[in-house]
Amino acid sequence: MSMNFSEFKKLIAADPRNRDPETLRARQSAPEFEAAAAEAEAFEEKLEGAVHIQPPGDLLDHIKAISQQPVRQRSWIPLALAASLLVFVGAAGLVWKQSHQWENVEAYVADHYSHDGGSVIAKADENFSEKEIFKILARLDATADEQLTGRIKFIKYCPTPDGRGAHMVVSTNQGPMTIILMPNTQVTDGEMVEFDQMHAMLVNLDHGSAAIIGDASQNVESLVGVVRDSLKTGLVDA
Amino acid sequence: MTNETERTGRFNELAEAYSTDLYRYAMWLCGNDALAKDLVQETFLRAWRALDNLKDIAAAKSWLITILRREYARTFERKVPKFTDLEKVVIVEDDELEPDDRAERDLLRSGILKLEPKYREPLLLQVVFGHSCAEISEQLGISKSAVMTQLFRAREKLRVQMQKDGVTGNVHELF
Repeated sequence: MSMNFSEFKKLIAADPRNRDPETLRARQSAPEFEAAAAEAEAFEEKLEGAVHIQPPGDLLDHIKAISQQPVRQRSWIPLALAASLLVFVGAAGLVWKQSHQWENVEAYVADHYSHDGGSVIAKADENFSEKEIFKILARLDATADEQLTGRIKFIKYCPTPDGRGAHMVVSTNQGPMTIILMPNTQVTDGEMVEFDQMHAMLVNLDHGSAAIIGDASQNVESLVGVVRDSLKTGLVDA
Repeated sequence: MTNETERTGRFNELAEAYSTDLYRYAMWLCGNDALAKDLVQETFLRAWRALDNLKDIAAAKSWLITILRREYARTFERKVPKFTDLEKVVIVEDDELEPDDRAERDLLRSGILKLEPKYREPLLLQVVFGHSCAEISEQLGISKSAVMTQLFRAREKLRVQMQKDGVTGNVHELF
């Protein structure tokens, strides 16, 4: 039995690119069918154009960088074991600096900053959304008070040696500096890392740590107090 | 798979083939460019870890979409409020559209974001990924007839929205 016009219109509205024989036969059966199909296709072309947005230019590079990480299968048992190990290591007063994709935290900081530190600083915006700052921090189980949030001029998620973290640009009277929040990574507190023309100070937080990065002319230690006082981490566990 | 280079090559092929469409899908799903980028990166991070579980490369697209949808759902489980920033979403492209066409496209974009998720999601799977109704049915776990109905209504709502906003064109006669 052939399709009536009402059925045909519903069919092509649901699937305008439908090319099955029955639909094609119906389309060719009368001018009104052909006109309706042509209209549906014209609308579809506009719809396809509307969703056609360009991804960020660096998206593919960031995705490909993922393959530098070794494979880790996640399950609750290894996670629980890892947590126990962390507690043990912490209790023993040792510094846990195991890095899964970089040789160590120092290498990660240098590599990360060399990768996009400069371009991220270029994105600093005096009117950067406070809402976005709190949203990203909250998703990392962290928060900060006005002391720090008032200075953050850009923030984005970033990879860290142990999962997702945040990459921030902070305004100071010495110019913009960078803070990388590593919510699941412990460091040697106060350790300085030097690379290229930059230096960084690693700071342990309640949970995880941060790297404060500046150029040779900047005193990264000047931000340590603000970071320690303002940045609160591990809120879910607290 | 034992060869790490081969594994990396396979992953990079997936990234090149699907990252753009996954980003578009994520963008129209969540309406926020930063979150969309994050969702896509998380998707590929999980895909990288689980790549050895992907036995059939032909299923890769569907597999990646499933990972992204789960990650998106997880985002809301954590009670992150939905944040739609039209200014960011409606990216101005350097194209040769006439002003009227550009206005119509912007209205369509705005209309897509206003669609309820049950209409928006099948529509995106069809328009962004070129999924058939049967594939959408499988992806979303709903019947094919339900998919057809939702797709029909999604387009109907978009047309109504555009008419309401003053763009009539010649396609409204369909309904």
